[in-house]
Amino acid sequence: MGESLQDREVLAQTDSSNEFKILPDVILVGIGGHSIFDRGRAALLPLAEELSTARSQKHKMLLGVGGGTRVRHTLAIALDLGLPTGGIAQLVGAMEECNAVFLNALLAKHGSIVMQREHFWELPLYLSTGMLPIVISIPPYHFWEPPPEDGALPSHGSDFGLFIHAEVLGMKRIIFVKDEDGLYDRDPKKHADARFIPRTTLEALLADMPAELILDRQLFACWKDARHVEEVQIVNGLKPGMLLRALAGEPVGTIITKETRRG
Amino acid sequence: MVERRVIPSTLANLPLTGGETLPYEGVAMMPSVKVIKVGGQSIMDRGRAALFPLLQEIRTIKDQHRLLLTAGGGTRARHVYSVASELELPTGLLAALGGYVPRQNARMLQMLLAEDGGIYIMTDDFEKLPLYFRLGCIPVMTGMPPFGYWEKPSAEGRIPANRTDAGTFLSAEALGSTRVWFAKDEEGLYEDDPKKNPAAKLIRRIGAKELISRGLKDLIIERSALEYLTRSRYVREIQVFNALVPGNLTRALAGEAVGTIIYQD
Repeated sequence: MGESLQDREVLAQTDSSNEFKILPDVILVGIGGHSIFDRGRAALLPLAEELSTARSQKHKMLLGVGGGTRVRHTLAIALDLGLPTGGIAQLVGAMEECNAVFLNALLAKHGSIVMQREHFWELPLYLSTGMLPIVISIPPYHFWEPPPEDGALPSHGSDFGLFIHAEVLGMKRIIFVKDEDGLYDRDPKKHADARFIPRTTLEALLADMPAELILDRQLFACWKDARHVEEVQIVNGLKPGMLLRALAGEPVGTIITKETRRG
Repeated sequence: MVERRVIPSTLANLPLTGGETLPYEGVAMMPSVKVIKVGGQSIMDRGRAALFPLLQEIRTIKDQHRLLLTAGGGTRARHVYSVASELELPTGLLAALGGYVPRQNARMLQMLLAEDGGIYIMTDDFEKLPLYFRLGCIPVMTGMPPFGYWEKPSAEGRIPANRTDAGTFLSAEALGSTRVWFAKDEEGLYEDDPKKNPAAKLIRRIGAKELISRGLKDLIIERSALEYLTRSRYVREIQVFNALVPGNLTRALAGEAVGTIIYQD
């Protein structure tokens, strides 16, 4: 017990070939803030309906929400004020939590519940009673947000936060519900000739990362060292039925898989 | 497509997926605070013989500085990691479990410093630091950052990369301090583990990038803290010193080059 935890040999001994999976059969569904929530009723009500159908089909899901335009406004003001990166990270979760409450209001009659971080281990209870837990996506790095590689904005955003939530619980699949059909080589909102990518791998993306992405870069960086998440799917939540088809295992939208396995 | 209800701002229409560099002029929050980590295995686990003289030194100098003490984990944390690792539990779980021990140690420090203003704070109390300092308190908290279940999988092995050194460093960075202190049981950073190799050479001063590039097999400080030092905005130096030698803490806080200084290069 007296060994140094910085010793590379000691670290190597803690590697694993078959890490324990805590909740492998649960699918994480992340709903975009900017892409879905900011579009209000027209986007949200049909999606809420679809989520209630998914629940009645007995899909085990964990829902996550992004913060959207209020997060961006917070960041813009905080940057202008010169608040430290950790201070900025401390602020943004509140704007996401509003979206979690909005979604909870829409889904309450179908058994949704906003899962507070300190209730982490109530998750099995929610799932086994058929409820729809909604988590805050931003990871709780707060004042301790590591210095970013570039600029002053926190690099651990909501897509990353949902990814790591799925990973620690040993989940295999994440579905991100956005306002585009999936991943493109360029932002399709700005470039009419952007090329749609129906299927790709993490390795291909890391080798040749599109300049404009639909998910946080940090998610891909973290996925490289991850052991459980096998597949990230991006679907268009503005098109009815897409989420249900993705939950049923259909290859709609974009599917990103990881080729190299780390046990 | 349904329109978005957008608040206009400089970031309203950016992708915001990472790496954006925008105009920014940082404001340091409380740069006068001196963050000191009290080692877990190196100090706390040695008990009274190591800790009491150090606490006496803290009592003597406490009114000259604004001190924020953070606690390391030590042997019990290693035991937790060892059990969790054998069960092949994920890194995020190890990080959450590893958080219990430094909290115990912080509470021990608080009890022993209570008469002198020692006050145990949780990470959620960080924003109340100005009050504690105004009251002449010595806030004591865990060194562990609050990442817990959200800690990333490590590139090497499964021990969480961000433990009490990284958390202490990040506390200082959030406050805008320029230096952060680590009270350990060795003179400083050696080229090899001096506990195993008595001929190991002490490094007095070295740049963080240079140190990382040397790829030493073992280090006195977490690699993640070194990586953060290569790109931190405020913290410029990490000072590691031997807190078993009376007077070293006083000298280090006075700006003397005791122990090892790792700087941003």
